[in-house]
Amino acid sequence: MSQQTPEIYSVELSGTKDIVKTDKGDGKEKYRGLKNNCLERKKKNHKEEFQKELHLDDHKLSNRELEKKYGTDIITGLSSTRAAELLARDGPNSLTPPKQTPEIVKFLKQMVGGFSVLLWVGAFLCWIAFGIEYSSNKSASLNNVYLGSVLVLVVIFTGIFAYYQEAKSTNIMSSFKKMIPQQALVIRDSEKKTIPSEQLVVGDIVEVKGGDQIPADIRVLSSQGCRVDNSSLTGESEPQPRSSEFTHENPLETKNICFYSTTCLEASTCPVGTITGMVINTGDRTIIGHIASLASGVGNEKTPIAIEIEHFVHIVAGVAVSIGILFFIIAVSMNYRVLDSIIFLIGIIVANVPEGLLATVTVTLSLTAKRMAKKNCLVKNLEAVETLGSTSIICSDKTGTLTQNRMTVAHLWFDNQIFVADTSENHSNQVFDQSSRTWASLSKIITLCNRAEFKPGQENVPIMKKAVIGDASETALLKFSEVILGDVMEIRKRNRKVAEIPFNSTNKFQLSIHETDDPHDKRFLMVMKGAPERILEKCSTIMINGEEHPLDSTARACQVACMELGKMDERVLCFCHLYLPAHEFPETYKFDTDAMNFPTSNLCFVGLLSMIDPPRSTVPDAVTKCRSAGIKVIMVTGDHPITAKAIAKSVGIISANSETVEDIARRLSIAVEQVNKWDAKAAVVTGMELKDMSSEQVDEILANYQEIVFARTSPQQKLIIVEGCQRQDAVVAVTGDGVNDSPALKKADIGVAMGIAGSDAAKNAADMVLLDDNFASIVTGVEEGRLIFDNLKKTIAYTLTKNIAELCPFLIYIIVGLPLPIGTITILFIDLGTDIIPSIALAYEKAESDIMNRKPRHKKKDRLVNQPLAVYSYLHIGLMQALGAFLVYFTVYAQEGFLPRRLINLRVEWEKDYVNDLEDSYGQEWTRYQRAYLEWTGYTAFFVGILVQQIADLIIRKTRRNSIFQQGPFRNKVIWVGIASQIIIGLVLSYGLGSVTALSFTMLRAQYWFVAVPHAILIWVYDEVRKLFIRLYPGSWWDKNMYY
Amino acid sequence: MRRQLRSRRAPSFPYSYRYRLDDPDEVNQNYLADEEEEAEEEARVTVVPKSEEEEEEEEKEEEEEEGKEEEEGQGQPTGNAWWQKLQIMNEYLWDPERRMFLARTGQSWSLILLVYFFFYASLAAVITLCMYTLFLTISPYIPTFTERVKPPGVMIRPFAHSLNFNFNVSEPDTWQHYVISLNGFLQGYNDSLQEEMNVDCPPGQYFIQDGNEDEDKKACQFKRSFLKNCSGLEDPTFGYSTGQPCILLKMNRVVGFRPELGDPVKVSCKVQRGDENDIRSISYYPESASFDLRYYPYYGKLTHVNYTSPLVAMHFTDVVKNQAVPVQCQLKGKGIINDVINDRFVGRVIFTLNIET
Repeated sequence: MSQQTPEIYSVELSGTKDIVKTDKGDGKEKYRGLKNNCLERKKKNHKEEFQKELHLDDHKLSNRELEKKYGTDIITGLSSTRAAELLARDGPNSLTPPKQTPEIVKFLKQMVGGFSVLLWVGAFLCWIAFGIEYSSNKSASLNNVYLGSVLVLVVIFTGIFAYYQEAKSTNIMSSFKKMIPQQALVIRDSEKKTIPSEQLVVGDIVEVKGGDQIPADIRVLSSQGCRVDNSSLTGESEPQPRSSEFTHENPLETKNICFYSTTCLEASTCPVGTITGMVINTGDRTIIGHIASLASGVGNEKTPIAIEIEHFVHIVAGVAVSIGILFFIIAVSMNYRVLDSIIFLIGIIVANVPEGLLATVTVTLSLTAKRMAKKNCLVKNLEAVETLGSTSIICSDKTGTLTQNRMTVAHLWFDNQIFVADTSENHSNQVFDQSSRTWASLSKIITLCNRAEFKPGQENVPIMKKAVIGDASETALLKFSEVILGDVMEIRKRNRKVAEIPFNSTNKFQLSIHETDDPHDKRFLMVMKGAPERILEKCSTIMINGEEHPLDSTARACQVACMELGKMDERVLCFCHLYLPAHEFPETYKFDTDAMNFPTSNLCFVGLLSMIDPPRSTVPDAVTKCRSAGIKVIMVTGDHPITAKAIAKSVGIISANSETVEDIARRLSIAVEQVNKWDAKAAVVTGMELKDMSSEQVDEILANYQEIVFARTSPQQKLIIVEGCQRQDAVVAVTGDGVNDSPALKKADIGVAMGIAGSDAAKNAADMVLLDDNFASIVTGVEEGRLIFDNLKKTIAYTLTKNIAELCPFLIYIIVGLPLPIGTITILFIDLGTDIIPSIALAYEKAESDIMNRKPRHKKKDRLVNQPLAVYSYLHIGLMQALGAFLVYFTVYAQEGFLPRRLINLRVEWEKDYVNDLEDSYGQEWTRYQRAYLEWTGYTAFFVGILVQQIADLIIRKTRRNSIFQQGPFRNKVIWVGIASQIIIGLVLSYGLGSVTALSFTMLRAQYWFVAVPHAILIWVYDEVRKLFIRLYPGSWWDKNMYY
Repeated sequence: MRRQLRSRRAPSFPYSYRYRLDDPDEVNQNYLADEEEEAEEEARVTVVPKSEEEEEEEEKEEEEEEGKEEEEGQGQPTGNAWWQKLQIMNEYLWDPERRMFLARTGQSWSLILLVYFFFYASLAAVITLCMYTLFLTISPYIPTFTERVKPPGVMIRPFAHSLNFNFNVSEPDTWQHYVISLNGFLQGYNDSLQEEMNVDCPPGQYFIQDGNEDEDKKACQFKRSFLKNCSGLEDPTFGYSTGQPCILLKMNRVVGFRPELGDPVKVSCKVQRGDENDIRSISYYPESASFDLRYYPYYGKLTHVNYTSPLVAMHFTDVVKNQAVPVQCQLKGKGIINDVINDRFVGRVIFTLNIET
């Protein structure tokens, strides 16, 4: 498992060997296994589709066989006619966009979603009622027509709003399209032509220059010093060399295949890199095409909050419809006219449906999204804001998310000691002993034996952020020395370089010869760095405390150190030097790097350095926070198990005291098979193990291990892991950056893409983008998500409460026959007017307790709208509100002359247009219009009654458990803005628009505003008592039934 | 949901996600879930201590459920899902195992009903108290505000759902109901009754009765005979039989309403639209065509028991026959408004006469 011999420069290389060893011969089977898996689960046909590319065997064929297979000629290329035939057969070389729902369908869907259906029904009932009325009486009032139109307007506006929100999330395909090269250089009819890459067909011979994108999947026929950047496809961050040799069974790993849309890079050693290749797959049949169709084929899962809102809509619609129908029947059986019964039905529906709520929820979510964007979480899909809060499993990518994605010096070894270097993001805190003379020599080698340079023009950029020309290791060394020693370029200038052998894979060392900066020292200094075994064999002495000692016993110590560091999966580089004697190598000596006219043995070993891609300094803390928030963090990476495990350990994904099966086996010195696998708390599962597992086994692993690392996983396997997690009823967040992650990102309940390192495809498939690529930002997201869930509960509770106060008037109107206490238009003014800003203000409420110390909500058990919430809002506060509002209503009528007793069963007489001398309690006679005006005053009074009590409702909804005073009544200023807005809108409606008859508001005497105040206070006191009991007796009957 | 709870109880079922989460190492307990578990356990302790057998049964049932789920997973007909939903619904309505109705046991139900009974009882007490306070602030004799009912409205008699007077002089059936209606209306104005109940007060001035508002007030006489030809005493058909209908006009009562002193409210009728000569003459009774000041102010139903609204009778003695004549009768006087656009009954009344011969 562990690497015994640390090899220079590339764990990747040795890793690949690992793969070669284990994978040899079963590369095919690996995928066949996957295929079987897929067949078992019939539904997942997208995976079967993915199989096609895996039958690719062109990389095994010789050039001649290829020519035969594709009917082409490597020298002359295809003939134009043949190409045209093929183009007609296979279609253009472009990605087919998935079938899209037409915009109009999407729009119409919004129009009938949620409460819209109910409102449509209401609107049509209005028009039907008017129709009936009109047919019997030509002068029927147009009120019902207005009401119907207003309802339709409400539906259309909320629909447009929702549609606009949805339309903002961009289309996945477009990002894949962007990756596609525009032009390709192709040989046809023995001529080189530039054609649009769409017209490429199978068998075309194409040439790709360094810097270009590969125009299709091609089999490399010849290559000059070219590498391809496969990072977007496979996640490998280093460019892969490409040549015509067949090196691997697996088409993804072999060197002689280049993939559509990847970028061809010039190797640093070769000035102009070109690849000549034969097109073997075009369009959707390419790897990228498969991934694209996989990504767009994965259905967008409904977000948890969408499910919750649907659930809520069902509850409210259920209540509305059942009460509506119940009272329709009651009304009909009470011998009301059908027309009247229909009007009652409309009123009940309008009163019951919180028209403004869905828009409020959207606004609330987008406010949170904005807040998160400030904290570097860019939310693309609004509903995803909450998803992160209910996340119970995070599948995190390693490179770039958990780690800094750059090599950094982690350890140093000199003077027989290991020193630890600071690996934090700015290297500010280097604590190792820099006084030793060995360090002086070592630092000189590090500085001089290095070809990397800072790009010019970055004087003001912090060292760690400067762009560098050079490979990863050299960059690390350059920055390391720049931080410690200061201006490296200056040092290099003082020690002029006279000769150099750059690193190559056969030498495995790098060497350069310099003049010294000491003017009296005429000797040349030869510095060398390289893989430990190479360097050690070239050395005969070792420098300890600045003095040279023969290298014998210390060699062992050195090897041990190498092994130690290697075990931690660090890349080890050794450094040695030699002062060339001045007499043998005078100043004028011509060094010849080809002839090697200088000694390369018996050097003096100075020290070694090890490098890793260090974890981000904020990650361990973030992982701990996730843990305490009950979130399981799983690492899913394409990297090697050892690296993955080392990083997992260092960031706490595998905690310090937990062991894997292998660890236990090693500790007890028994075979891995003998260990009871459930004794281990952590598991490291590789892609190769994963491919043999049934979905049950995957479930078992996911359920039984707390700490899991998946290494060497393919995009499909990532998908399998995500699906496995989802089978556990978990809400899964996936982080990733590559194109290969995009299916998993899409499949996940919330996909989180990296903003800096992420490819466009990943960003588009994701619901959220971390602008700083920092895992710690996810924790912020979780916190915000949980907060918004709590606050949405408050918003909904606040909104639902007044529905009862709006509904009761209609019920009383039908049963007791009072003049209508509140009109439908007035209800709309509450729902869409006074209540909107306050309910949004609740989104600004701070958390009541440490929300990061509780477990994520269970998506099937902890509902947004649960029974206590509905019961408490409807039957407790709602009812109290209704009573308070009725009190205002009765007060107004009584003071105007209609005492409550007179009002009972007055409805029929009251509403007769021809009765113009209706007697009140004092014997006064009222005309119809005078009564109507009084009725509107009643509406206004009821409206004001609800408004005043909604202020109390708003204040009590600030908290669910704590007292208002614990929460701080003035901490959330927006609440007070909300209250002010409520009052101002109320005043404007009553006193400003009181003369507009269609709105049925009247100027209300000022004192009526205060009638409901005692009730408002009562509501507040009652809720404080409720909260007090909840706090005093947690877990009691009260707590269970009254805590929402 | 039940299954998960069960696996928490039975640690022998090691592959459960829940079980792992409940590792003692885990500091945080999901208190919501715990509560539910407690609730369940509580219910269990209080209702029926569950025997091992039942537990087994449950397990079996669970297996069955699982089986079903698997079937479903393999894409069985959707009818199954419906059946399952029905079953869940059924179980929700009445769960025989735990003796629960709508997911509550009998005890739980009685507790909740009790709590709600007390809650609503106290709410009822609160609203009663509020209403009581409201009545304390309101006088039963005089309304607090009267500005909504001022200026007074106007109504006519006879009135039967419609302001169109269509009748044929020669067909008594077409006007008989007007006569009956008028007769009925004027019963309260019979001279004998008025003389018995009410006082004859001096005309031309308010009949002001000071004193406490709860004292009974006297009312002025308005005798039927004041209406002369329209009293129905001389002509029991109120002129309908001759095509000269009487129509009585009544001003709505408003507590405390007083016309301008010395200027009683007058009634004047004319053709609303069309040829003014369609009505050639109208006789008003009392001849002043006004409401005498002595009938004001009105002190309210409770104390001013026998108050009879003053009337003005309009005798349309010469109206064009066989065509609809729209008539507008307006009140005239200081402080009288008769041109409110929205309210066509304030200070005026519009009706049509269509007398056929």
